[in-house]
Amino acid sequence: MQSRRRKYLWLIFSASWLLLVLLGAPRLRQLAIPPSLRPRTLTSWPRWLDQELLPNFVEPEELTKDPCPPSCSTRQWQRQRPGCLMETCFDTSRCQSHGFKVFVYPVGLTQPISEIHHKVLASIEGSGYHTANPEEACLFVLPGDALSPQLLPLWNGGQNHLIFHLHPGSWPDLGFDLGQAMLARASPKPETLRLGFDVALPLFPQSYPQRGGSRGQLAHLIPPPGEDLLAFESQLDARVTGSSNHLDQSTILIISDHHGEASEHHRDGPCKQDHNTDQSEDQKRLYNSTFCFIPPNCHLGSFHLLQALKAGCIPVLLSSGWELPFSEVIDWGTATIMIDERHLLQIKPALQELPPARILALRQQTQFLWDAYFSSVEKIVHTTLEIIRDRIFRAAARPWLLWNAPPGGLLALPTFSTQPGDFPFYYLQRGSRPSGKFSALIWVGALDQPPLKLIQEVAGSQHCAQILVLWSNDSPPPPQGKWPQTTMPLMVIEGRKKKSDRFFPYSAIGTDAILSLDAHSSLSTSEVDFAFVVWQSFPERIVGFQTQSHFWDEIKGSWGYTDQRPNEFSMVLMDAAFYHRYYHVLFTHFLPAPLRDLVDELSECEDILMNFLVAEVTKLPPIKVPQRKPLQEVLQHAQGEQPSRDCISKFASWFGHMPLVHSQLRLDPVLFKDQVSVLRKKYRHLERL
Amino acid sequence: MCAPVKYNIRGPALIPRMKTKHRLYYITLFSVVLLGLIATGVFQFWPHSIESSSDWAVEKRSVHDVPVVRLPADSPLPERGDLSCRMHTCFDVYRCGFNPKNKIKVYIYSLKKYVDDFGVPVSNTISREYNELLTAISDSDFYTDDINRACLFVPSIDVLNQNTLRIKETAQALAQLARWDRGTNQLLFNMLPGEPPDYNTALDVPRDRALLAGGGFSTWTYRQGYDVSIPVYSSLSAEVDLPERGPGPRRYFLLSSQMALHPEYRSDLEALQAKHEESVLVLEKCTNLSEGVLSTRKRCHKDQVFDYPQVLQEASFCMVLRGARLGQAVLSDVLQAGCVPVIIADSYILPFSEVLDWKRASVVIPEEKMRDMYSVLRSIPQRQIEEMQRQLLCRAARRASCPESWPWVHGKEIINDRIYPYAAISYEEWNDPPAVKWSSVSNPLFLPLIPPQSQGFTAIVLTYDRVESLFRVITEVSKVPSLSKLLVVWNNQNKNPPEDSLWPKIRVPLKVVRTAENKLSNRFFPYDEIETEAVLAIDDDIIMLTADELQFGYEVWREFPDRLVGYPGRLHLWDHEMSKWKYESEWTNEVSMVLTGVAFYHKYFNYLYTYKMPGDIKNWVDAHMNCEDIAMNFLVANVTGKAVIKVTPRKKFKCPECTAIDGLSLDQTHMVERSECINKFASVFGTMPLKVVEHRADPVLYKDDFPEKLKSFPNIGSL
Repeated sequence: MQSRRRKYLWLIFSASWLLLVLLGAPRLRQLAIPPSLRPRTLTSWPRWLDQELLPNFVEPEELTKDPCPPSCSTRQWQRQRPGCLMETCFDTSRCQSHGFKVFVYPVGLTQPISEIHHKVLASIEGSGYHTANPEEACLFVLPGDALSPQLLPLWNGGQNHLIFHLHPGSWPDLGFDLGQAMLARASPKPETLRLGFDVALPLFPQSYPQRGGSRGQLAHLIPPPGEDLLAFESQLDARVTGSSNHLDQSTILIISDHHGEASEHHRDGPCKQDHNTDQSEDQKRLYNSTFCFIPPNCHLGSFHLLQALKAGCIPVLLSSGWELPFSEVIDWGTATIMIDERHLLQIKPALQELPPARILALRQQTQFLWDAYFSSVEKIVHTTLEIIRDRIFRAAARPWLLWNAPPGGLLALPTFSTQPGDFPFYYLQRGSRPSGKFSALIWVGALDQPPLKLIQEVAGSQHCAQILVLWSNDSPPPPQGKWPQTTMPLMVIEGRKKKSDRFFPYSAIGTDAILSLDAHSSLSTSEVDFAFVVWQSFPERIVGFQTQSHFWDEIKGSWGYTDQRPNEFSMVLMDAAFYHRYYHVLFTHFLPAPLRDLVDELSECEDILMNFLVAEVTKLPPIKVPQRKPLQEVLQHAQGEQPSRDCISKFASWFGHMPLVHSQLRLDPVLFKDQVSVLRKKYRHLERL
Repeated sequence: MCAPVKYNIRGPALIPRMKTKHRLYYITLFSVVLLGLIATGVFQFWPHSIESSSDWAVEKRSVHDVPVVRLPADSPLPERGDLSCRMHTCFDVYRCGFNPKNKIKVYIYSLKKYVDDFGVPVSNTISREYNELLTAISDSDFYTDDINRACLFVPSIDVLNQNTLRIKETAQALAQLARWDRGTNQLLFNMLPGEPPDYNTALDVPRDRALLAGGGFSTWTYRQGYDVSIPVYSSLSAEVDLPERGPGPRRYFLLSSQMALHPEYRSDLEALQAKHEESVLVLEKCTNLSEGVLSTRKRCHKDQVFDYPQVLQEASFCMVLRGARLGQAVLSDVLQAGCVPVIIADSYILPFSEVLDWKRASVVIPEEKMRDMYSVLRSIPQRQIEEMQRQLLCRAARRASCPESWPWVHGKEIINDRIYPYAAISYEEWNDPPAVKWSSVSNPLFLPLIPPQSQGFTAIVLTYDRVESLFRVITEVSKVPSLSKLLVVWNNQNKNPPEDSLWPKIRVPLKVVRTAENKLSNRFFPYDEIETEAVLAIDDDIIMLTADELQFGYEVWREFPDRLVGYPGRLHLWDHEMSKWKYESEWTNEVSMVLTGVAFYHKYFNYLYTYKMPGDIKNWVDAHMNCEDIAMNFLVANVTGKAVIKVTPRKKFKCPECTAIDGLSLDQTHMVERSECINKFASVFGTMPLKVVEHRADPVLYKDDFPEKLKSFPNIGSL
């Protein structure tokens, strides 16, 4: 009995122990592991038991009582605070009556100025901003940066004055009291820039082209296989290993542009240039690398930045020791890689990890920024002025998209609209489409008869919204009853009898699309319908019927144009063409008056100028659609007039380059002239002669 | 304790019959085992809750129980804020390390109560708002409780309101924080800076290099790229649940609700109201409210009493005028109510202006121009006002989930972007309402650029075993002047490609790529051998295309490099009876797809097809051995928002004798399958991205009455 009992007991004990060991062992093992290796629980901010009873940081009564002491009045408040703001140092009332007009002091007033300042002044004088009358001026520009402005008759403490400071030295190394004048300064240090008042410029050499400038040089949107990842890596490595002490160095820098001309000499550059590198070698590397390391804290950096943009090499910038040019409006994050200097070691892995989509976008943006803002002195100066204009007319300032998407802020005028949806460029980004109607604008010239048949054909289009007749005939327009009876609203506008009138932004135009017509044009309803449907797919381009082609005349050494090269074209005639009404605004407000005067004097020039303008904006050729009229007839008709070659050369020199682009295609209806039953074709009337 | 058990079913009780010595022994042993069992049981069931619930670690105690720290009067004082501080001079990024996720880690100091030598508290221990803000940080991904891993440090010393604290002592309290280190990487939150009579625009507490998230910065005190401007929190709107109001005209045009205005401003406003009785409403403090009504929740105009902030929803524009301070709490109320703020505060740095585009949701007017305010506002078209209201709505919606914490939500992301700029959030992500994103596209090839003709194109021929036909295609394609390379994708794993000597001799490099699996997607792989931007995909049986047609197609592609430029055109149609999409290969007046049996396109789309095709489309195509061309059409149309271009009238591609619609396509089941593909893809994409157009591209002189020999592309087939 005893032994049996003992057996029982032992059994129970061993069972219990077994249970204990089985259950407890994992727990014990956990306890044995040091706490640092175990998964830790996060100690979060305590949930206080009395958190509902905590006092407010301020009582609502106190906020609404917010005492406004006498010092709170605008004048008092301004007096207490130093520094300049648009609100305090700029008299915007000067800009209300005459708009944004710029007066440039005559050069003779001061000591001789540098070539680069001459270019700056010429850029303003040749533009639509310029006024010769200081009374009308909103902004005064000094001819240089080394003079005593106190001698200037209209200095007034510097109010509304702009100084271009293109030779970066140490602040405020101007040699005179800046007062309330604005400073447009090349490659400034962020702390010396008066935020929202001064403008940061890029640093560019004397030999920079005044206008035009070369297009972006990017050949491959996607880095082709074998392209280098990072150019100027040696400079990066030097920084990493600390072999170049970049601080407090005062070396003489020689900045040269890509022609290899030494052009600027500076002291006090806070960085050292690698004198061993060959300039042409540098150039090659720029064009054969995906990323370019831009040396920081250095005047050279700003110039390198421009070169990288032009080459389509994505700039890799260290946290800036200098303010990026036009950083007020340009979102540099879309075109550059910025990285903290202290993350240098990680830069290569970070670049390697960038997704191709981002690289593609960055590469394209570098080209866009280069073409839109940096390719010439004129663009840099105009961008500066437009930034100031946006500040003055704040309610009509360009939104982000207008500055940072093609065609860029200089070509998207806020005087037209600040809504991206009104422009022909941003339909995709906004997910919208141009409106489904057009306005026909018929030009009736001196020799023309009232275009009765044309009106009937155009009014027959289901897309037509209104017909405007621009009467530039010497005889008075026919009375109301003499016009053809249509349901379409018809309006007669009596112009100044000038050719440039036909591209004036008349307020009566109520649709996005304009069909520009001459009184002698002959178009059928189905031609109009098809052309308009095509235009809806390409709202930023001109869609037309008759074409011309530009060419370089080797013998005369000038540009010419002809309709005798019918295999290609670069212009469409405006006697029958669809385009967006925004181009009327650009034609009238963006182009300078002398160009429009030229159009008024010479025949056939208005077509060319409009084609130049649209090509400059879109960088694309116009679009040709089929016309019923047989080609031979068209050619004969055109041969009657001797084209004036003068204007094309003049326009090309004003634009600084030839914006026109050739195309070899025509957009036809899908079943155009196919061997299928005419009844199946939607635009069957297009084929009947 | 242990009563003898008399009736045991199993037999006599054990314990009572044992000797006392044994009894004691066993009892002890038994209880030890029992205890052990219980303990194990407890461990077994409770530990799970220890690990999974974070509440376990949350202390449950009162704010009043926090440790008290006595600050000696002579404890060190930080220097005044350094105005020249920038990220690259005053911020220590080494502490942030190189984090693969590019996220900063934030540490919060534990709460303490600071008293001076005499035991007088330095400030309120913590305010409700600051507590909520810290809770929000603690709940976010950025939070860490490990001081050694943190990159950003948030003191729990509450400096939201400068008036509630003693400046010198608070600064001393900051200076003695464990990782203060001259303020490096410390982040302070302040909403009400300055004190009478001057009201500085930044916190007066000496803070050395600390970053400041402040409400009411002016351009002079704001360190661009370093500080963060935040809005002043208003409990008035946060506690009221305002209904959402869609964009549209409102009862009042302009409303002013601020109570303590400078007399100069008030007289200006009153003059404005006198002039525009109907549309302008200037509210004031109520003087004759009955007892128990909260005066802060009421505003009055003459005898009329209005509820605040509800009244803000009745106006299109609401005034936010500078008071003694630049940052006004009323801005939060106005934004919450969806009223477009008219901000009159010269030099004010608007909240989060570094990333938020205030131009799209507010009107800023210089103080000097206050008198012209009405006409300026009136000149804004109603359309634009509604656009601004829409912007506000979206921002309000984004905040709704975290009303108290939104200063933090934005603030930390801004700082995060500064430390990892290359991973920064883009402008669009900050500012575009999701509704706009839905319908808009951002074309990956947005640059209007005509690629140089000299680059030429790479032809990619997908083939299985039709060698004879393949060689014919190669010979034909090699006649195209702009061809720069020919790539044959050999998709047959069971058979080797013909020997080198058997291939046609052509003037450009010819390369054969062997694939691992017979998959249709092999034709769209971004092979390294492709050195040109332009790719011509061509089947091994497309023998009818002429060199003129192909060269012309390349010229067309150059003008439309972001589109599919192809020869066989197809259409998708909506079948009303079946309520689904239908594939159409008849000769119609419209085109929405081009088949990649022969089409030009940009190399980038190969990358997109291979790596970024949404959903399971790629596998689906490979499994069905069909519809890779439709998938490519969907993909390109979806990212670019643009239609395809069909080139030349050509409709027959394989053999002159074939009927109009080629081989495969005749099959009725094939048509059904193709329709199914369209429906499947449309459901994966969540939309129908294809665009229908009525045009095709022909050479300028196509079918014109003009001598054929003078045409650039005379050899264009008509069928």
